[in-house]
Amino acid sequence: MSARRFDAGRAGYFALNGAIVTFLLAPIAIVAVFAVNPTPYISFPPVGVTLRWFEKFFSSEDFMNALWLSLQVAVAVLVLSMLIGAACALALARGNLPGARVLTAFFMSPLMLPAILTGLALFQIYLLAGIGRPVWGLIMGHTLVAVPYVLRTTLAVLHNFDRRIEEAAAILGASPVRIFFEVTLPLIRPGVVAGGIFAFIVSFDQFPISLFLVLPKGETLPVVLFNYMKFDLDGAIAAASMVSIVMAISVVLLLEKLIGLKAYVKL
Amino acid sequence: MNTTSASIRLDAVSKSYDGRVMAVDDVTLDIQPGEFFSLLGPSGCGKTTTLRMIAGFESVDRGRVVVGGTDITDVPVHKRDMGMVFQSYALFPHRTVAENVAFGLRMRALPKAEITERVKAALALVELTGYEDRRPGQLSGGQQQRVALARATVIRPPVLLCDEPLGALDRKLRQQMQFELKQLQKQLGVTLVFVTHDQEEALAMSDRIAVMNAGRIEQIGTPAEIYERPKTRFVADFIGEINLFDGVGSSASAIRPEKVVIGAPGNGGLPGRIETANFLGGHTLYRVTADDGRQILVKETNIGDRPTRAIGEPVALSWDPADMVQLEG
Ligand SMILES: Nc1ncnc2c1ncn2[C@@H]1O[C@H](COP(=O)(O)OP(=O)(O)OP(=O)(O)O)[C@@H](O)[C@H]1O
Ligand SMILES: [Mg+2]
Repeated sequence: MSARRFDAGRAGYFALNGAIVTFLLAPIAIVAVFAVNPTPYISFPPVGVTLRWFEKFFSSEDFMNALWLSLQVAVAVLVLSMLIGAACALALARGNLPGARVLTAFFMSPLMLPAILTGLALFQIYLLAGIGRPVWGLIMGHTLVAVPYVLRTTLAVLHNFDRRIEEAAAILGASPVRIFFEVTLPLIRPGVVAGGIFAFIVSFDQFPISLFLVLPKGETLPVVLFNYMKFDLDGAIAAASMVSIVMAISVVLLLEKLIGLKAYVKL
Repeated sequence: MNTTSASIRLDAVSKSYDGRVMAVDDVTLDIQPGEFFSLLGPSGCGKTTTLRMIAGFESVDRGRVVVGGTDITDVPVHKRDMGMVFQSYALFPHRTVAENVAFGLRMRALPKAEITERVKAALALVELTGYEDRRPGQLSGGQQQRVALARATVIRPPVLLCDEPLGALDRKLRQQMQFELKQLQKQLGVTLVFVTHDQEEALAMSDRIAVMNAGRIEQIGTPAEIYERPKTRFVADFIGEINLFDGVGSSASAIRPEKVVIGAPGNGGLPGRIETANFLGGHTLYRVTADDGRQILVKETNIGDRPTRAIGEPVALSWDPADMVQLEG
């Protein structure tokens, strides 16, 4: 009796997990199918396998320029938001600042605002300030919405941080600067990197803000794809999506390998 | 291995966190080089705060901290050259056991070869040879404790500070570590300030004990003095079991249960009856209600096959007047 109940529970557990995984991965699977389906329009069921959409994507100068720009912007955003987010988190968690809670809410607010509003607001400010639409302005816009991710993950690590560990380093003779580099930074690093990965993806996939801040001929990949889709809806879009997914996964794996995501302090 | 141990002097040190309640109130201590000195008292009495002021983690509001004859009140933590063992161990989770122990030596910029050698010796001393490459997360509580001890002592500090270092261990391991810590301290000759709220631990390990209460020092003395000759009602009550008799005003007298002798009634002494009897193996603890209404605890060693006394048995209690201590406050 109890064995059968146990089995039923197990079956239910696997069924539920299977459903969740299917739900999460099905769109990717469909895109993958479209990317290799030779019909010149997106259709189902697939009729064969081809790499022509990938060829088209990689041989198009517009796509390649956009991909390159998107990558550069995303890497800049990754670095900037890790620096700014980690510094903010340290100041908020450690700085004894008056109104730290209000400040935290303020720094998190770009997450709550619809990105299209952020984009519009930045567009108008840049216009008023006479800045125009340079790439660094785009990077700043992306960073604005990416920093909260790093802030959140780093604050979570700092929240569970045992400060006695830093005191132990101090009494062993480590100066405040050495404590920061030998103890604090290594321990918050997994949180910063985890947030940085979000930041990269937020920038790489960013559409609403980019829409306002890019110049014609200087568009990021999502904007180019959007414009392309207005006229053509062929497999090149799906191929571009697959490339994006592979990029994102590569970044996660690369950061994991280079910096490490293993958390010594639980998130 | 030997270290140069240092004396520690707290000179009228006070500290308040909030400006109202005194966490440490006018504490003066003179700790001798090489002494095992315990700060003992109930939770919240200011033991940790006192230790943290010696380490430099907390600033003092008033008073001076002098170590080895040098006033270090304004010296930052990392220049104080002390060892410290934390209750939570505070090991570096991202470093191996060997790296943890090497940390203080690296900060002192010692040559690599010497660091390797001293780490090896320190780990051998706490019987952790072979654990060099583990991370703290892969060790038991007792092993982490030893790593913390090795990390604090490998720098050969003149002063070692321990804040309830054995608090997280189970009873058996705790007793073993008490013994080992004491042995290590004597071997190194280091001055050790030991914080605990466990009176048995303090009595068993210390050369001298300062009993603290509400930020103040109640009494300083050897374990025997603290136990046999408590000066205040607080100390008498806090350490072991004792019979307190109120005197005039705030004065009182007290006697330990094992100093009271149970005799047959009618031969003088204080008459009463056995109220309860707790057989505790080596001895039996009786609660006797005297005919004048007072309740008195008596501890009687179980020698031979003396049977446990019956409840309600009439007895007469007596003691050597010299064993009665006078208390103030
Ligand atoms: N960081 C702090 N901020 C404010 N008050 C504090 C702080 N640390 C300690 N206190 C207060 O100071 C007093 C002494 O605390 P302390 O930690 O020194 O006690 P303790 O004797 O070590 O107690 P325990 O045995 O529980 O560890 C307590 O009343 C405590 O509430
Ligand atoms: Mg304490």
